[in-house]
Amino acid sequence: MLFIQFQIGSDRYALEAKCVVEVIPLLGLKQIPQAPRGVAGLFNYRGEAVPALDLVRLTTGEPAAPRLSTRIIIVRLDINGLGPKLIGVIAENATSTMRRNPQEFVNTGIIPGSAPFLGPVLLDDRGVIQWIQEQKLLPEKLRRQLFTPALTTADAAN
Amino acid sequence: MSSELPAANESPLVAAEEHPLAPGEDCWSRIGVMGNGSCAELDKHIHCRNCPVYASAGARLLDRPMPENYRRDWALHFSAPKRQVAPGSVSLLLFRLGGEWLALPTQVFQEVVELRKAHTIPHRRQGALLGIVNVRGELLVAVSLARVLGIEAPKDLPKTARLLVSVWESQRVVFPVDEVYGVHRCDPEQLAEPPSTLAKSGSSYTRSVLHWQNNLVCCLDTELLFPALSQSIA
Repeated sequence: MLFIQFQIGSDRYALEAKCVVEVIPLLGLKQIPQAPRGVAGLFNYRGEAVPALDLVRLTTGEPAAPRLSTRIIIVRLDINGLGPKLIGVIAENATSTMRRNPQEFVNTGIIPGSAPFLGPVLLDDRGVIQWIQEQKLLPEKLRRQLFTPALTTADAAN
Repeated sequence: MSSELPAANESPLVAAEEHPLAPGEDCWSRIGVMGNGSCAELDKHIHCRNCPVYASAGARLLDRPMPENYRRDWALHFSAPKRQVAPGSVSLLLFRLGGEWLALPTQVFQEVVELRKAHTIPHRRQGALLGIVNVRGELLVAVSLARVLGIEAPKDLPKTARLLVSVWESQRVVFPVDEVYGVHRCDPEQLAEPPSTLAKSGSSYTRSVLHWQNNLVCCLDTELLFPALSQSIA
């Protein structure tokens, strides 16, 4: 199984490559006033408005460092009733991929609490890599905030 | 190996300001393949580019701060629809005669060979027939495509001149050209109808035109050209 490796702070994480559409540079985002925590903004991805989720901010409280190695991983999510949707995941040091057997990951036994997307971990000679489960990236509340069935302009005006 | 890897908690931003690598950290130019080759790891990795130390140093080059306007420029880039590259399903051999670039389907050619002298045939010095040439021990008829098309070619053939060996309905004909670019693949949509006012020579044999490197290339119609070539021989 192919994974995309990246960092949040100094810790390493991995996303399964199957759900990744493209890895793009950290581009300029349109800020959303009073956006939910972790949503860094919106950007135009080939004509589609895609929300960017800042995993670094969600985990450490600090925004992702503005470096060349900080990138946006475009992830395709299947959202019930709305079909596939794209979200951008801002990740630091997104510079490499790795091929691993899913069986090599072991369960931590720790209930992640507010970060349900943290999955099993892999131990290698440089430390620990945690698998990020893309289906759980958006908690139910955030999912509803970001992807509600389109409002008509009349609804929006009210 | 592990001693040379950067510690994970090192702040790369500090070192990244000017040069992301500390002096002496470039072990590949001291003991690696660009140095004296004494590194023990070389036995395992053969070349520094296979070594994780080299790879991690390369990845750290990306730990630089973003240049000015970087985010704005990329935002502009990704707001445009993705440009689809048309698959090249038509294969053409591009060649030059005088000042004109011409093309014929690659399939009609057997090979491109060095220029050689044509043995002229008595009483047949007029017209398009150039004579007989020896290609791999076979005698083939050479014709002047320039004369058939009415293109004025320079008297002295340039150094880039080649002979094209073509096959049409199991008949092999050879013709010299001033230059061969090679095979060019393109999408059929890129082949435009020739303009009706095309006054250039050879226009009657032109099936379509192709814009290629600021040149207009006439794609010749094999159905018209090859019968004309065989007629010029007869």
